[in-house]
Amino acid sequence: MTTPTPNPAEEVYAHIDAHTGYIVLNRPDKRNALTPAMLDLALAHLHTLLTPPPTGQPACRAIILCGQGAVFCAGFDMQLVHNDPATLPALLTGLSKLVRALRRAPLPVIIAAHGGAVAGGCALLGGGDIIVTDRDAKLGYPVLKLGISPAVTIPALRQALTDGQTRERVLDTDLITGQHAYDLGLAHVCCDIREDVLPAAQRIAKNLANKPPHALAATKQLLNHLEGTDADEPFDRALAASFSLAGSPDQRARVAALWN
Amino acid sequence: MSLATLHITGPLATITLNRPDSRNALSPDLLASLHARIDELADRCTPKPERTDSGPHVCILTGAGRAFCAGMDLKAVLGDPDTARSLLLSLAEFTYKLRQLPCVTVAVVNGPAIGGGCGLVAVCDLALTYTDNKMGFPEVDMGVCPAVVAPWLVRKIGPGRARQVLLTGGLLSGLQAHALGIVTTCVPTPADLPAAAETLTTRLAAGSPHALRATKNLLNDLDGSTDWPLLEAAANLSANVLNCPESQAMLRSKLEPSARQ
Repeated sequence: MTTPTPNPAEEVYAHIDAHTGYIVLNRPDKRNALTPAMLDLALAHLHTLLTPPPTGQPACRAIILCGQGAVFCAGFDMQLVHNDPATLPALLTGLSKLVRALRRAPLPVIIAAHGGAVAGGCALLGGGDIIVTDRDAKLGYPVLKLGISPAVTIPALRQALTDGQTRERVLDTDLITGQHAYDLGLAHVCCDIREDVLPAAQRIAKNLANKPPHALAATKQLLNHLEGTDADEPFDRALAASFSLAGSPDQRARVAALWN
Repeated sequence: MSLATLHITGPLATITLNRPDSRNALSPDLLASLHARIDELADRCTPKPERTDSGPHVCILTGAGRAFCAGMDLKAVLGDPDTARSLLLSLAEFTYKLRQLPCVTVAVVNGPAIGGGCGLVAVCDLALTYTDNKMGFPEVDMGVCPAVVAPWLVRKIGPGRARQVLLTGGLLSGLQAHALGIVTTCVPTPADLPAAAETLTTRLAAGSPHALRATKNLLNDLDGSTDWPLLEAAANLSANVLNCPESQAMLRSKLEPSARQ
């Protein structure tokens, strides 16, 4: 495998540095709002990073998912959803596929969620083994306001939280702070300021890269098995629940109201 | 002197890991002794016509000397795949028996509790330690998969935090272990531990044995603690990883200073 060249023109780009594979959301002027193409691209980059070279050791031993600009990710691009009803199912499918693939990657995935991770952006955290955020970051799933079900996030979220906490987080559309997310266990490391989030994620990745990959892979696989995220059934069921509301008159009216 | 001891005083039983010269590392012999003591205790808790009392319903697990338990005695099984596998299966079976014991179990973590030793802490219903104790699961650092302890830790602190702890490896302070929920009580110094343990176990011992056992059984059913096949598969997975050439080479370099270049 050749190391992917950073391509700042891409809305998601990947590169490898110091045994860490980076997948970078790169649409800072839209607060990294996700398009179906970005989710497909992130998945393709992940596959490339995980593909071992024909000879020698795999190039990366940990993955960092991060974002350019002021915040990690503001969620789905609702302008696209408003313009074309086919966009929402494509976004939900792309998100579900990416979260599953990150969860099942045979090396640790660290997510640097600086500033904010909202709705689909917060759902991405479900793909991470270790989540780093900052005290004042805004996190949460306010999508019920838009007539969209947050179901797609639930299979992974309920592993991080208790059942009671999960219900509160997906049913209450309020956003919580990074500090609160850390207290709940939704994030594992909480920095004082957002500028410290990526360096903290890099320190964790460097530490993990020094550990034997086969022991990490076996341990991660067992943890996935214990929590059931190695199976597609809970993800498929959640996706079906989110699909069931997509494109409904209520959902379309609520999204349209964002522009009225 | 036995490698594990059992003392019973009324409602309170104490099982002590008694291999202080080796920081109570879990060797095949120590585990065999632990099995014997816990079988004895389980029998003592079983109602029999000739007994008037219901046996102990609170059990302390602790270590003799300065350590609680330094974990699996990996040096004893290096280069011996069959013994390694049987040791892991023996540990898995002991954790299972400890969980099914009809007593509320309290780990009094009197010193370092590492790897499988910290796993025993996670199996107990409650645990006490002190602020700057050394605990944790450094298995991945050694090329070992902490598979036997993973199901217990997932139940104890939830899958999300267990993922962070087991994949990151390294050590935790007593205070960090308390914040994560691995221990339920954290006192300032080791000297504060006996009094805190006595207060807690006295309170527990005052409870109804019948109600306490019924509650513990229900909790075990609810959280899947009765799933032996899962634990057996985990022990085999751990043995497969431990016995692979990469792990053996890594352990040899860490455990046998003479092998270091």
